[in-house]
Amino acid sequence: MPSEPRVPTEPSLEELSAFIDSELDEAAQARVAEHVAGCRDCQARLDGLRQTAHAIRGLPMESPPRPFTIPAQRRQSWRWAPAGWIGSAAVALLLVAVGIQNLHLPSGPAATSRSTSTVSGGLAQGAGAQKGAVAPLAAPAPASNDQYSYGSASRAAANVATAVDPTNSSRRLVLDTDSTSYVANGKMQVTVQLIGSPSTSLNSGDQGLTLTLVRNGVGVALKPVGVESWNGTPIFGGRYDLASLPLSSPRDGAYRLEATWVVPDGSGRVLQASVPVTITS
Amino acid sequence: MFTSNSQDDRDLVGRARRGDREAFTQLIVQYQVPLYNMALRMVGRPDDAADIAQEAFLRAWEKIRTLREAPFKSWLFQIAANLCYDHFRRGRRYGAMPDEETSNVIGLGIATPDPQEQAEASERNRLVRESIQALEHDMRIAIVLRDVNGMAYDEIASVLRVPLGTVKSRIARARAQVQERLQQYPDFFLREDAHAE
Ligand SMILES: [Zn+2]
Repeated sequence: MPSEPRVPTEPSLEELSAFIDSELDEAAQARVAEHVAGCRDCQARLDGLRQTAHAIRGLPMESPPRPFTIPAQRRQSWRWAPAGWIGSAAVALLLVAVGIQNLHLPSGPAATSRSTSTVSGGLAQGAGAQKGAVAPLAAPAPASNDQYSYGSASRAAANVATAVDPTNSSRRLVLDTDSTSYVANGKMQVTVQLIGSPSTSLNSGDQGLTLTLVRNGVGVALKPVGVESWNGTPIFGGRYDLASLPLSSPRDGAYRLEATWVVPDGSGRVLQASVPVTITS
Repeated sequence: MFTSNSQDDRDLVGRARRGDREAFTQLIVQYQVPLYNMALRMVGRPDDAADIAQEAFLRAWEKIRTLREAPFKSWLFQIAANLCYDHFRRGRRYGAMPDEETSNVIGLGIATPDPQEQAEASERNRLVRESIQALEHDMRIAIVLRDVNGMAYDEIASVLRVPLGTVKSRIARARAQVQERLQQYPDFFLREDAHAE
């Protein structure tokens, strides 16, 4: 064997980019890693690409501005459709009423019209008003609802709720607060653990995590702050100064704190957990 | 091998093929956020993106009986990708800057422990969105499927029906162009640069 050059060939842009995604074959992945370790220029190129990918991945997943619907009957080929068919189909539109309102960007304001145990409400009405002819369906059957949205059934003595991914039981969203009751000018300590997250990012946007304090269908978004990664589990939290939140008066009353996690694997799977919080005057 | 249908999807797709609307509704619930966000990053405007996602679900519902072995997710995204290209071909609002700052703002004001940090994040996100919007369509969709939707390269190849090598090069060139654009803003990579040297 002729002796190999000390530093293997410069990796191409494509190789560096695919390296970030672990999309090179094993040999190439190792070759790029080795080269980059010994080459400051390529280390810098790699960092640039990585930061760029990270910036794009950091864009918050937004929730659709309206629910998506399918007609009660399959649309036939247009040729067959009687003139009035489209209109009547519109009347029979099936509303997919899911609680997507609180899935939007973590940095944005949020309101929600429900607790985790029910779906629909505001969305269905909003869409009905907007489309006129839409019959607000039938929230999805409880079975399908439960599959994506879990309440705080497992709560024990502490103020904690857990939601388990139905397709991956090692993935869990755990939400807890340091108390169930706070004075109006008190501070509420919140911890959210994203166990089994496909991402280790401590950016709530990367993780698709939102936190909302809800009462009577009105919510206030709390920004989840990345705290630490413990054993690979991203942990978010914060100490929220209740007096500074734009709560409607009277500020005292029964609220729910909801954590919603759009698992950042592109599946759109949503885990949701909530705990009760009482504010006293 | 690219991501195959999860068992979940397979059951739902099987039921939807037999006309079970409830099953298809569950597929909508499962994919509406990623699909909408793919369209949003492609076309920029929330209304257009919602139109595309809606039409994609409608077509998928109508055609699901023709779906054979392909994974539902790739197939659905392929329909939506084609609709994005149709949208560009019609030239509607092509090149228009996204108008999404005001999208999805529901409810009351926001409370945050650190408004400054939030404002910075929002400005950074705006720059990133603009840089994606500036990409040529083929590159844009490749990087969106990768970095917004988190798809693997072979899954992207099946959505776009192009060879793996093409996916690889489109993603790389797209990243390089986005990076170049972002670097025009001196502060953009500042935080990360701090520990580079
Ligand atoms: Zn080098």
